[in-house]
Amino acid sequence: MKALYIASTGMSAQERNVEVISNNIANMRTTGYKRQRAEFEDLLYQQVTRAGAQTSDQGTMVPAGLEIGSGVRTVSTPRVMSQGSVNITERELDVAIRGEGFFMITLPDGRTAYTRDGSFERDAEGTLVNSSGYPVEPNITIPGTATSVSISPDGLVQAYLNNETIPTQLGQLQLARFVNKSGLESMGDNLFLETAASGPAQVEIPNQDGTGNLLQNYLEMANVNSVTEIADLIAAQRAYEMNARIISGADSMMQATSQLR
Amino acid sequence: MIENAQLISLSRQIALQRQMDVVANNMANINTTGFKAENLLFEEYVMPVARDQNFPTINQPLSYVQDWATMHDMSGGAMVQTGNELDVALNGTGFFAVQTGAGERWTKAGSFQISSNGTLVDINGNPVLGEGGPIQFGPEETGILIASDGSVSSSAGPKDRLRLVEFANAQDLTREGNNLFAGGTPLAATNTRAMQGFVERSNVSGVSEMAEMIRVTRSYESIASLTQKQDELRRSAIQRLGDANA
Repeated sequence: MKALYIASTGMSAQERNVEVISNNIANMRTTGYKRQRAEFEDLLYQQVTRAGAQTSDQGTMVPAGLEIGSGVRTVSTPRVMSQGSVNITERELDVAIRGEGFFMITLPDGRTAYTRDGSFERDAEGTLVNSSGYPVEPNITIPGTATSVSISPDGLVQAYLNNETIPTQLGQLQLARFVNKSGLESMGDNLFLETAASGPAQVEIPNQDGTGNLLQNYLEMANVNSVTEIADLIAAQRAYEMNARIISGADSMMQATSQLR
Repeated sequence: MIENAQLISLSRQIALQRQMDVVANNMANINTTGFKAENLLFEEYVMPVARDQNFPTINQPLSYVQDWATMHDMSGGAMVQTGNELDVALNGTGFFAVQTGAGERWTKAGSFQISSNGTLVDINGNPVLGEGGPIQFGPEETGILIASDGSVSSSAGPKDRLRLVEFANAQDLTREGNNLFAGGTPLAATNTRAMQGFVERSNVSGVSEMAEMIRVTRSYESIASLTQKQDELRRSAIQRLGDANA
């Protein structure tokens, strides 16, 4: 009796689904978070009778085969990389990306990580860092005498130094693009890493060659929609229960068999 | 005579177990994108010669039950809006064509991705076919649009058109797992529209599968109790015969 095992694959798939949904809901307020979606596939089929098998010498054929599936599996949890809504924060070092692209962050081990979270800060030396204190790539240092830092849609960082009337250029923010951004590896802390599946990063100036533009004083919110997540959660929970019912149904059939004497 | 009855019950029990497997597989795939439910068909298998031949009248044919085929239920699943530009649902009877190591396969699961070298692929990494082969995107292209006839365009202008296929008889198709169908004679799709930003959910109905499961378990139990009664009947018959001889 395969039904027991088949239904158990269904239960574990729904369990995985609930895990993905709960992580989305937990990150509903995480800046730049991109929601994930669990993708499922059916498993191999046992071909009891193949469609098209010959049934007589006259060449008659089986019109439809007899196929018994063996359940379901979770294939992947790709991220949905759609734009999150942008909210005004009125902090001059908050930057949202409107469109494609990721900010680049230098990790303490020297690697580059990618993020959509543009809530930047200044460290003690005035270097532009992310909320974990890792420097933004390329490095931008804002002197202590700077007043009113401005970041243009093209990523140009300017500030007025020593009460001068002409702004000084401090640096140029760049964005990385990937052919397959769903293939990025999530490392937590709002950071992603490049993988063989994502393809190499293509570094561009914002607003050029398909990259998005920057919005100073704004942050990109998570692209999680609480209503759809809750609806998906209910569907997953019910599907779990129905698979559990199949197991108890299969069990009662086995019980009927075992009580035969 | 009783032995015949038991063999007939047994044929039904085996068929019911298999039907339970089909119900379980449908239920397990209730959240699988583009999954199509299966139904099991039964037929009567007439055995011309009964195994016990001492009927008072002429020989009676016996009717066994045999599971005969699984039918793909090709009705459409619910269309769910995801807003993802690479999610495509098919409204109609058509399928997407994908290239696998074993040849062309057909799928209804339109949650696509772009691979690291820019090819449009399905969730397993198989290239999705256009009229002129796999569909390729450059690294700087944005704004991918898929029109209702399957034509693909991006910021770099119009591209290929998705190869959408239909089948005169979808029951010819065999299932391969991984959301793929194989076989059949593909025809160019005429009644299928692509919808970008949507995925087609599985067409499994939880209610009807649950009802089916209850029906299967109950008939299995009643067959089992019938088998039990036949056994008791036989036992008491043997006892009576033994008494008479003593």
